[in-house]
Amino acid sequence: MGLKRLSKKISCYKERFEQGRADEIKPDHVIKVLSKLKAKKAALAEEIAAARTDDKLQRLERKLKIANEHITRAEWLLREFTDKPVREEAK
Amino acid sequence: MKKYYLPVAIGALVVAFWLKPEVQEIAAGVAIFLFGMLMLEDGFKNLGGGILEHMLERATRSTLDSILFGIVSTTLLQSSSLVSVITISFLSAGLISLIGGVGIVFGANIGTTTGAWLVAGLGLKVNIAAYAMPMLAISIVLVFQKSKLLRGIGFALGGLGFLFLGIHHMKEGFEAFRDQIDLSRYALPGLVGLVAYTLLGTVATVVMQSSHATMVLIITALSAGQITYDNALALSIGANIGTTITAIIGALGANYQGKRLALAHLIFNVVTAAVAIVFITPLREVVEFISANVGISDGDYALKLAVFHTTFNVLGVVLVVPFLRNLIAFLERRIVEPEPDVSRPRFLNEAVDEFPQTLENALRQEVKHLYDNAVELILHGLNLHPHEIYETDNIAGTVLRSRRPIDLDIDESYEHRIKTLYSAIVDYSTRAGDKRTPREFSDRIYALRDIASGIVQAVKSVKHLRKNVIRYTARKQGTVTELYDGLRTEIARIIVEIHKLDLAEPDERSALWLDQERAQVEEGAVSTSRRIDELIRKHEISAPSATSFLNDSGYAYDAMRDLIAAARSYYIERESAMAEVEQLLILEDDELDEVVRSKNARRGEANAARLRNNDVAERG
Repeated sequence: MGLKRLSKKISCYKERFEQGRADEIKPDHVIKVLSKLKAKKAALAEEIAAARTDDKLQRLERKLKIANEHITRAEWLLREFTDKPVREEAK
Repeated sequence: MKKYYLPVAIGALVVAFWLKPEVQEIAAGVAIFLFGMLMLEDGFKNLGGGILEHMLERATRSTLDSILFGIVSTTLLQSSSLVSVITISFLSAGLISLIGGVGIVFGANIGTTTGAWLVAGLGLKVNIAAYAMPMLAISIVLVFQKSKLLRGIGFALGGLGFLFLGIHHMKEGFEAFRDQIDLSRYALPGLVGLVAYTLLGTVATVVMQSSHATMVLIITALSAGQITYDNALALSIGANIGTTITAIIGALGANYQGKRLALAHLIFNVVTAAVAIVFITPLREVVEFISANVGISDGDYALKLAVFHTTFNVLGVVLVVPFLRNLIAFLERRIVEPEPDVSRPRFLNEAVDEFPQTLENALRQEVKHLYDNAVELILHGLNLHPHEIYETDNIAGTVLRSRRPIDLDIDESYEHRIKTLYSAIVDYSTRAGDKRTPREFSDRIYALRDIASGIVQAVKSVKHLRKNVIRYTARKQGTVTELYDGLRTEIARIIVEIHKLDLAEPDERSALWLDQERAQVEEGAVSTSRRIDELIRKHEISAPSATSFLNDSGYAYDAMRDLIAAARSYYIERESAMAEVEQLLILEDDELDEVVRSKNARRGEANAARLRNNDVAERG
């Protein structure tokens, strides 16, 4: 369901881009966001390694799941924008 | 005083017109010239689209850069007043430093002297009215266009046309006047003339609020032989003092920084004028020397006046710049930064209202101010101390230890510290939206207003909680205390996570991190509800207590959701393509739920294994 929703969002974004209402997303933009997400994941992994209570561990693992999901989506998005640059598609 | 100003000014004009009808053309020339300046300002505001503001932000890296920026921008805009007012706005919004602002104003003083060169060198030597007519005709066609750029060009062209037309009428007026009356017989020689005409120049500039207009009037009167060269020099010195009035008026609505800048402007211009008066004889010799070397004829007093105007302003900058640090220290001592009053808007003031970029920045900072007040009130409302919550590595433990009710009238604090700021934010953002601003700009302004609204909602939710928090957490009362402590802990955790995001470098943080907190909140809301069901079934909590708690937990989770939504909008990337990426990646509520619920069974086993490992590691 996740990626289907994401591709729908991308279609909406492309429509707005063609109408001149959105800035062009380049692979570099996705890479920057991806690196922030990976940094957060690494920080969470460190916190998990140091966690001493079950409650804290559960909370951190829940966070880690979300971080992983974001990374998966960002990587997919990167492939999308690398394979099909928005400006070329708009032509 | 103010209420007599208008009738006296109009009365004086009517009397002058009645006594000497020739004055009408000179007065109309001044009026057309001033109207041209207003139009030129409007044109540049339309045309700028933030370019000037962007440049201003970057132009204050060093004092020399600031001075150069002041010279160039004032030369282009032909208005030191506009540059001063923009500088005050930027200073008030915290976008530039005081020393940078002072540098710009010094540069603007030199830049404004190019006006005298234009009038003396071009305006008096060619028939500029011939250029004014086609410029005005073309400009009006452009002004009625929909495109903001074309409209801006139209206003700027029309402004220039009116400037030319104004100069032409002043010139014509003085020439006609010369045939009727010889003003030069009122010339005053020596020191008396120097002082009297300096005062006259000051008063004329205060009345017209434009040294540029005064200089044009002086030059046209000088070229028509209506005033002597010596008196014209004194008048131009007076114009320099009078021009500070615009900055002073601009600073009235500004914060302490704007007021410091206006005082710096006044000090600089008065010092420069004093130096020019004291050293008038050597300055005249310098002007003669420069004029002879640049090929200005002996009898061309209008151009010599322009040389004098530039020379004494450059001299002023050269004399004052070495003492700039001392001047800044004096200004900081003289106009002391007021003690921050958390209940009053700190960044939104009249001075930032006029220029979009200053307004957006000021609004952002005011929203942050509101958030800081809100967080303090929320934590105090939950009987928690912000510094303890931010410093602890065990939030739940700190919450358990925080039992003493904090002396707080939450309704009064809400009115005093939240509502006043929120009202200012709504007022300024709504007015900004009413102006003809680009859609993207209005969207950003309205987004900031929505963030403020979310923050206010969060405070309102906590207001509802306050009574039962005091009732059930001031002393331990078993299960119900545990439940309320749980809510207090969760709200505190969200606030700490937002605090971490705020402390992170903008290049390293992502608003997407808050999705993790959203997941926690939704999971917490579900498990709290399940726990209440279980407690009711086991008769460990009474139905009325359970109902109260369910209501309160609704408020608590709403507050958390509002805070997260506000922080997400506030910290989302400001570079628009990056913001688009983050918007694409943000998880919807059902997606969050799906991710959290997946592989739940395996999670428990993994947790147990991890804890066992940590224990072994600790013992080892």
